[in-house]
Amino acid sequence: MKRFNTVFYNVAAVIVGLVISACLLLFMDVNPIEVCGKTLGKILTDRYNLGEIFVKATPLIFTSLAFAFTYKANLFNIGAQGQFTMGAVAAVSISLALQDIVPTPILLILALLGSFIAGAVIGALIGLAKAKFQANEFLVSMMSTYVISAFVDYLLRTSLQETKAEYLQTDAIAKSAYLPNIISGTRVHLGLILAILVAVGVSVLLNKTSLGFRIRAVGKNRFAAELAGIPSSRIYVISFLIAGGLAGLAGFTEINGVQHMLLREFNSSIGSFGIGIAILANGNPIGCIFASILFGFLNVMGTTMGRLPGLSIPASIIELIEGIVMTCVIASYAVRIYVDNKREKQRIRKAGV
Amino acid sequence: MAVPAVELQNVTKCFAKVVANANVSLTVGEGEVVALLGENGAGKSTIMKILYGLYGLDEGKIFVRGEQVNIKTPADAMARGIAMIQQHFSLVPTHTATENIILGNVHGLLSIKEHEEKLRKIAQDYGFEVPVDKPVGQLAVGQQQKIEILKALYINTNILIMDEPTAVLTPQESDNLMQFIKSFTAKGNSVVFITHKMKEVMEVADRIVVMRNGVVVDTVRREDTNETELARLMIGQEIVPPVRKEEDTTQSPTVLEFRGVSLQEKGGSRLLDDITFSVHEGEVFGIAGVSGNGQDDICEVLMGQKDPNEGSVYLAGEDITHASIRHRSEAGIGYVPVDRYRDGMVMDMTLSENVFLKWCYDKEWLNRGFIRQKKLNAYTDALIEKHRVKATGWGDIAGGLSGGNQQKVVLGREVDVGSKLLVFNQPTRGLDMGAVDRIHHVIMGEKEKGKGVLLISTELSEIFEMCDRIAVMHNGRFMGIYKNGELTTERIGLLMAGVREEGGAAQ
Repeated sequence: MKRFNTVFYNVAAVIVGLVISACLLLFMDVNPIEVCGKTLGKILTDRYNLGEIFVKATPLIFTSLAFAFTYKANLFNIGAQGQFTMGAVAAVSISLALQDIVPTPILLILALLGSFIAGAVIGALIGLAKAKFQANEFLVSMMSTYVISAFVDYLLRTSLQETKAEYLQTDAIAKSAYLPNIISGTRVHLGLILAILVAVGVSVLLNKTSLGFRIRAVGKNRFAAELAGIPSSRIYVISFLIAGGLAGLAGFTEINGVQHMLLREFNSSIGSFGIGIAILANGNPIGCIFASILFGFLNVMGTTMGRLPGLSIPASIIELIEGIVMTCVIASYAVRIYVDNKREKQRIRKAGV
Repeated sequence: MAVPAVELQNVTKCFAKVVANANVSLTVGEGEVVALLGENGAGKSTIMKILYGLYGLDEGKIFVRGEQVNIKTPADAMARGIAMIQQHFSLVPTHTATENIILGNVHGLLSIKEHEEKLRKIAQDYGFEVPVDKPVGQLAVGQQQKIEILKALYINTNILIMDEPTAVLTPQESDNLMQFIKSFTAKGNSVVFITHKMKEVMEVADRIVVMRNGVVVDTVRREDTNETELARLMIGQEIVPPVRKEEDTTQSPTVLEFRGVSLQEKGGSRLLDDITFSVHEGEVFGIAGVSGNGQDDICEVLMGQKDPNEGSVYLAGEDITHASIRHRSEAGIGYVPVDRYRDGMVMDMTLSENVFLKWCYDKEWLNRGFIRQKKLNAYTDALIEKHRVKATGWGDIAGGLSGGNQQKVVLGREVDVGSKLLVFNQPTRGLDMGAVDRIHHVIMGEKEKGKGVLLISTELSEIFEMCDRIAVMHNGRFMGIYKNGELTTERIGLLMAGVREEGGAAQ
């Protein structure tokens, strides 16, 4: 019943958000119903477009998990962008260095591990700053993104720059280092399966294991947890380490699955979207999968709308839609609490005081 | 009958999810002391907060001196001569008594001197000795309470509501308070006295209104009743206190030993000063004292939350002075902290998760890192039944239980964790009598199993009822360790106030 309620409220909120967004199209002197119909038609009838939804959703699942995970320990990881970028650096470096030396499966596993570790190291450093110096993890993680961005610029100008030395980007990795495609006619790659498995794994880790329990206990009441012998500072480091690794994995799937090279300002908004998605999913790892797919869908919808002939709808409309949908979902939490309280009060009254 | 000072008719108040008061009617006559007696959560404070304008009422009427009134804010109440002294004082610690009292009652240019004089005069009338020009933060709790009373007298109150006024006082300070109430009402004023202590009720009240679960159960005159009857009315059942056997426990093996433990704040005052004592197998060792005299620091040193500056702590011969918190639990110390909301439970988690909290490193409850959920749930359900926790099962959220039931869950868990020593820091504070009774029986049962028990309490009745030996604490040091029976209430009261012998004050 409770779970059904959650799903009901979320779906309703998303629909309300979409309707409000559609109404905004009126300001551009277009017929929202017609435009939406056309857009949906384009997406649903085109295999490639349909696949793009999942291609876009894959890294978002990882970055949203990176926020949701520390959120369980009552910590805010705003630095998924940086952790993702370091993961991408690791993936592209390992791929370029080993692509002709080791067979594909081993190369992919090495790139996967490398990107996890690269992200985890960044995460662990943030966690350490929190644990040792009581630094504000919100600020530290946020600022780490800028440091990493500058660091990657430096790498792209020096050791990682393409052999032609023309643009600030790496060489493309060889076909043998690609993540295999899983649906022909689209760009959907094995990374999607990996992302879903990881989300399920995170859910199991948090809810079924002792480590996950300790993380949640520290998140909900640090004092009681400490008195039970759980050192909260160690939990801070561990949860940031894992969260960083999760964001790092997005670097692996984006490099080896989609882009096949590292460029400047690579996917520069998936970190912040990850935060929104995690909040949308209320920190639930399984919810992150669905919320990411929703955002993937909105993303593709925006691009498709922008390409509709003769209408000149800016593709940035999608940011507006995403914002409105999120506001609606967050507002729905408040509505839900209000309705539940009211219902309870009535129940008590009826029971006859 | 003359027009009563205050009359409440059928007042009902609902909070979001609970009915706090249902159809409460009561009257307070002029010159009368009415005691509102009931367990925590019975709705005593709520009904008085409605009268004082802190809460609005959903249904019902209020009359003051025969006139129907609509009290929306405390200012409305004060204008009609009603004042309420909250359980937690509302004083600005850095202001002097005078400044605190005139706060909100004066405008424009102030002549502090003039107000001070006026206050001194009021204080003299009632025989109060209060320094009106000192910051109240430097005063003892009993004195702070007098300032609260002065505050009420200053605005010409004739209906004074006091919420659990003796909770923070030493026995002597309580006596003074009772004296004040008598002289105050002798002048035709009325007092409403909210409490859950029967002794005080029998001492001072003219009429006793007993509340339970938000309704008035009965109203009795003091002459016509006794403590046993009141207890039955209050909780709806008879209470049989556990029997304590007189025996010499000091010869049994030592479980816990403190040797010269001192604790100092960074660059600050001494919190603990040379604390030395031992707890033996099968012994309940009590620490009495007004709260805030270092009892919590003893617990924190004992549990490893604070490192002592000097001295050592031994558990069954093992030096645990610098051991980790986890090691101490695993070595067999169970601990029921004073603040279960902060330290004892995770309120947003289920009961089984709260039980698991203390076992989350224990291999027995894990299967390759995975929680053995079935075993845990069965264990939790058994604990709920064994300790008569009112809950539907292991899946209940801890925060949804009443305080007494939450405490029983903590107790059940810690009793199993503490195989050697159990530490209770005010285990019954703020609980209803049914829960208190249950907790006392459990403590006695564990003592009989041969465990050592350290019981810290501010309730002297609890100390006398449960303990074999009693240490009295004042200002971070022990005033002495006594066998139960050696001390009278008067003597222990003086020791709690820091007075070692008649006439002479210890530092």
